[in-house]
Amino acid sequence: MKILLAEDDFASRKFMDKQLSRYGECDVMVDGEEAVDAFMMALEDGEPYDLACLDVMMPVMDGYQVLKAIRDIEAQKGIPKSKRVKVIMTTALNDERNVKMAFELGCEAYAGKPIDVEKFEKVLTKLGLI
Amino acid sequence: MAEEFNTESMLDMFLYESGQLLEKLEGIILEKQDADCFDDADINEIFRVMHTIKGSSGVLMYENITKVTHKLEDVFYYLRESHPDDVPHMELVEKVLAVSDFVTGELDKLKNGDTPDGDEKQLVEDLDEFLGRLKGEIKKQGIEMPQANRHVEPTQFYITPVAGDDSHFYRISIHYRSDTQMSNLRAYSATYALKEVAEDLLYTPDDILSNEASADVIVAEGFHMLLQTKSSKEEVIALIDSSEAEEINFDELTKEEYGNALGEFGREDAAPAPVAAAKEAAGEAKQDKPKPGDYVVKTKEAGKGKTLAKHQPKQQSIISVNVEKMDALMDLIGELVIAEAVVLQNPDLKVPGLELSNFQKASGQLSKITTELQEVIMSMRMMPLTNVFQKMKRIVFDVSRKLGKDIELEVIGENTEVDKNIIEHITDPLMHLVRNSVDHGIEENAEDRTAVGKPAKGKITLEAKNEGGKVYISVKDDGKGLNKEKLYQKALEKGVIENKPMSEFTDKEIFRFITLPGFSTKEQVTEYSGRGVGMDVVVKNIQSISGRLDISSVEFEGSEMTLVIPLTLAIINGIVVQVGDSPFVIETASIKEFVRVGEDSLIYEPSGEEYIVLRGECYPFIRLNERYSLPNSVDKVEEGIVVVLEHEGSQVCVLIDKLLQEQEIVVKPIPSYVKKIKGLSGCTQLGDGSIALILDIAGLLMHDGERR
Repeated sequence: MKILLAEDDFASRKFMDKQLSRYGECDVMVDGEEAVDAFMMALEDGEPYDLACLDVMMPVMDGYQVLKAIRDIEAQKGIPKSKRVKVIMTTALNDERNVKMAFELGCEAYAGKPIDVEKFEKVLTKLGLI
Repeated sequence: MAEEFNTESMLDMFLYESGQLLEKLEGIILEKQDADCFDDADINEIFRVMHTIKGSSGVLMYENITKVTHKLEDVFYYLRESHPDDVPHMELVEKVLAVSDFVTGELDKLKNGDTPDGDEKQLVEDLDEFLGRLKGEIKKQGIEMPQANRHVEPTQFYITPVAGDDSHFYRISIHYRSDTQMSNLRAYSATYALKEVAEDLLYTPDDILSNEASADVIVAEGFHMLLQTKSSKEEVIALIDSSEAEEINFDELTKEEYGNALGEFGREDAAPAPVAAAKEAAGEAKQDKPKPGDYVVKTKEAGKGKTLAKHQPKQQSIISVNVEKMDALMDLIGELVIAEAVVLQNPDLKVPGLELSNFQKASGQLSKITTELQEVIMSMRMMPLTNVFQKMKRIVFDVSRKLGKDIELEVIGENTEVDKNIIEHITDPLMHLVRNSVDHGIEENAEDRTAVGKPAKGKITLEAKNEGGKVYISVKDDGKGLNKEKLYQKALEKGVIENKPMSEFTDKEIFRFITLPGFSTKEQVTEYSGRGVGMDVVVKNIQSISGRLDISSVEFEGSEMTLVIPLTLAIINGIVVQVGDSPFVIETASIKEFVRVGEDSLIYEPSGEEYIVLRGECYPFIRLNERYSLPNSVDKVEEGIVVVLEHEGSQVCVLIDKLLQEQEIVVKPIPSYVKKIKGLSGCTQLGDGSIALILDIAGLLMHDGERR
């Protein structure tokens, strides 16, 4: 599977990269804008991502903006819900209002940092990715 | 918790919400336990509660909770859709309570930072079996079978962060030697080393790399860090380069202290994220909800921590306040009351012929405001007893079912409000009393009750009322009552009383035996009570908040245990009296009367004790001047005033010189460097600035008893 990882913090990026690389090819971005660019590029090439893991606090665009952009682009291109990229937010901002907002914006899962790897894997199974 | 939820994490929110829902659920269940069936509104409500908990536990991936609530939701779905008759109501009630208990247990585990690993299988099987029977019943009654309850699997998940509760919080202060060069670089290397293990790290001054002047600040004031980490103290110390450091202070903080300390370090929110709220945010509209784009990280300035563009919304109609701050405010208002007295009763005003009418007007206004202020702070701390009483309902239900007794509970005055501190202190004692009533109070068999002409169903009344600055909470049962003879015999056996005939004790004194440690008249110890620990703990707890326990009972008719608790602990009404040159304060509520008596009313014992005879009653007599070695005081009884004091039904008389005034007294503890003296419970400051000691009637009585 194809994975998009957006994370500006070096340590987290390395950790997530290692985790995710077990499941597939992982492209690593360091800010929100890059992530959106990468997403569009993949879409244009006809090889869209299956999973996007987005940090929230990032330079240029934050994770919520990226999420919104991704869902907007998908809507514009008329991609059906079932074919949409699965998005998991990864952030330490886990207060309830933020989580709710992310769900409303249409993410599939919201993982609080530090990430519970076991549960993360379970979610991937539930989302039908692995 | 209720006030805090706005900024709480997802998990806290789930715990809070589910807790509330379960409480509500239990309320419904216990209210309808004796009805024949739930009505439609209840069924809907229970269905909704289960559905909500199922949904949110699904999102959070607590599967055992989801499964159990899912099953119960199914049960109520069928009840709602097909309204079958002959639902075994009691069994249903039990099932709901079992689920509620299970979920509560799992929530508690989560609160403690454990994984909710309770085994749901048995419960789910039970519910399945119950549901099977229910469906059979529906078929038999020929009602059309509703479509199966369709469950939507959650499509969105929240992955809770790895339990952060085992994080340690430290405050580290490094003071470098005054000749240290480039202390800012040393400080930076310390923060760099700590970043390895830190979950969160804040330091001040925070511009150590970009601002060379910070080196001087660090040398002068020290370098302070706040650290959240999973590492132990030793590991952290090892990471810090201690050369050139003169002193390293290392304090472990609790989570709350850490949260408070964050403020000192210039962070406004206590979110565990390495960000500081930007303060500029000029012109940015206040907002209640976060928006995409709030969390863009601004380009870093050299040496500065990451900063967010987000302006933290601060618009709330309810704010949560740390109880400590409330206590501090309470203390300050106490001081204000004292200061007010100091001003209004200032000796300078006592110059004869002074025209004071304007002053009197102004002071009247001041007094009014301080009184109102006191009332407001008191009301801020008040909470209704509803929650406590709710717990009692559950206890009565559980214990009576277990013991096979049929008991009805009546609750009166659950809206009575008392100080939050007091609620915390009375929950356990009250629980003991209620259990005792169910277990020991109400008769074992219904026949025993009908034989003496009482209804077969036992009755326990829980009543709270607010009267004359005190709260009365009573637990009354119509059970077998206390047997005085038995209590007396038991007391003799246990050696708690000397060989005095029973007639020498009043009823109240005999009843009070049950509050002695290790005293239990019950031959059998049951699961719930009878070990004789308990009643003495109850009394101790109650005394610690200066309350008392009154016991009254009529054999075969029932007993009543009443907790009498002061409405507030901090400010009392007192009478100021003088002995020799020293002022004393006596709480107004404990004074029975003031009398002048002659020498002829005194009785001297050879042992040196004195008694006073008033209207044929004999009271122990204490001369405060002798007790506390006070010179220049009245020695002759007829020249002084005798005050009759009462505490928990026993009286004592003390001799004082004269009465000074009545005053609102703010109780202050006697400072720890003064030896603890029996008979004195605290001190206070009087209007003229002098210190008065507060007499502790219980202490006086005890002292007196020991001497005998």
